[in-house]
Amino acid sequence: MKLSEDTARIQDILGDYCRTGEGEQIPGIIPGRVNHYRRLVYNVIRSNMDRAFPITLAALGEEEWDQLVQEFFSKGLPQTPQIWKLPYEFYNYHLMKETGIRIQKPYLEDLLYFEWIEIEVHTMPDKPFPEYLSSGNIFMDRLALNPEFEMIRLNYPVHMHPAAAAADMKGDYFVLIFRVPDTGNVKFLNLSGIHTYILARLMEEDLPLKDLKGDIAQTAGIESIKYLDDALEKFIGDLIDKRLILGYLKE
Amino acid sequence: MEGKVGIGLRRDIADEIIDSHILTPDFLEFAPENWMGIGGYWNRIRQKAVDRYPVTCHGLSLSLGSAEELDWKFIGELKNFLDENRVEIFSEHLSYTKSRNAHLYDLLPIPFRKDAVDHVVDRIRQVQDFLERPLAIENVSYYTPVAAEMTEIEFVNEIVERADCKLLLDVNNVYVNAFNHKYDAHAFIDSLPLDRVAYIHMAGHQKVEPDLIIDTHGQPIIDPVYELFEWTIRKMDPVPVLLERDYNFDELEQIQSEILQLKSIIKKQWKVPYEA
Repeated sequence: MKLSEDTARIQDILGDYCRTGEGEQIPGIIPGRVNHYRRLVYNVIRSNMDRAFPITLAALGEEEWDQLVQEFFSKGLPQTPQIWKLPYEFYNYHLMKETGIRIQKPYLEDLLYFEWIEIEVHTMPDKPFPEYLSSGNIFMDRLALNPEFEMIRLNYPVHMHPAAAAADMKGDYFVLIFRVPDTGNVKFLNLSGIHTYILARLMEEDLPLKDLKGDIAQTAGIESIKYLDDALEKFIGDLIDKRLILGYLKE
Repeated sequence: MEGKVGIGLRRDIADEIIDSHILTPDFLEFAPENWMGIGGYWNRIRQKAVDRYPVTCHGLSLSLGSAEELDWKFIGELKNFLDENRVEIFSEHLSYTKSRNAHLYDLLPIPFRKDAVDHVVDRIRQVQDFLERPLAIENVSYYTPVAAEMTEIEFVNEIVERADCKLLLDVNNVYVNAFNHKYDAHAFIDSLPLDRVAYIHMAGHQKVEPDLIIDTHGQPIIDPVYELFEWTIRKMDPVPVLLERDYNFDELEQIQSEILQLKSIIKKQWKVPYEA
């Protein structure tokens, strides 16, 4: 490195000042102007976080939200050169911190995660789609799944209820977040335990539904074949309508 | 693209640029960091933009001035992006955006010092060699000098000459810096190696204190900056000219009028056959 230790140190002093508003005197500056750098840098971080986490911002209110952003701004030391990935670092930073706000708001981790996953699914690189047919038999043919999705587990139903209400509803919640092929819009589905099980099997195994029906019936405790078939037809039909299932794999 | 006028592809106006005829740029500029590795809706917009317009790229995160090692993983991905999108000009800022090995996402002023010149020259050369294309370096706006041991013009000129790189001349930044630091904008431009200018940026700014202008990219270009632009381009060969606008997109017609005004000046001074 050809930068002298002194110049590198001066650059770090300015960087530290931008992050914290504190630090030793920077040589050769015009008094009263360096604060504009701190303001401008913070505005970049804050506006990016506001756009990424609108539900969290609304749930916490301005004061607590600003505390979270300031904490990350001063100590987070972000590594990504691509600012649209910064919300993930923000989420991870607060995941590791037992701050007062996190203790008082136990749903916060889930809410930040849910909002980040929405961004991730919206922006994830395009995945190869399987070749599929629009018509087929939902039991006999292998189903063609939309590959652009994430399935997550939450402790609080922040995807269904306002955060304050969700805080009193601790449990196991499964959410499937997916990208609609034609529009690129992101949608999510709240899944019951048995629906999560069915989708997980379909994703993991290259089998038609008829080969999974026995396991599904046993897991769900369903004895009536007709009831099971009707329920599966309704569930899979809904997923086809939502474009989470694209159709039937070309054999 | 010489003598053509472009605009930055911002997400807020991407649909209007692709689908409407209110804005009529000749080319588009991407901030590559905002588009690299993205799929879905925005990837389709990027592809449509590349199919329809010539493209330049203006980087944000190389941090040429900082003490940290260059981020070679990122630069490798950047190279792929530039190649895949047939990017004709790639530019970056003469600034630093990292300290303590972490990003700050804004442009901090490098101390005007000899060791900083040596450091930046070395890094520009490394990046140019790796990317296999010239880098155009932008003169940035700055609000205070930091531990300076030489003048801004000495700093810029020595880097451009020794790195054997191109210059992105931001005319608004010259105006802003001349106002903020009380020097003559015309003399500054006269001292630049104008034969190395590959690209020009034009933008609006905001006066926040009686003696301080901030380079905001959110307001219309003011007349003195148009005048400085016209005076400058008389002295040089045609290059592409970009209208920078990062926010305040409510009045697209007003932004279009800026594009037309730039084309009108260019037509007059560079004899480019525009139907302005």
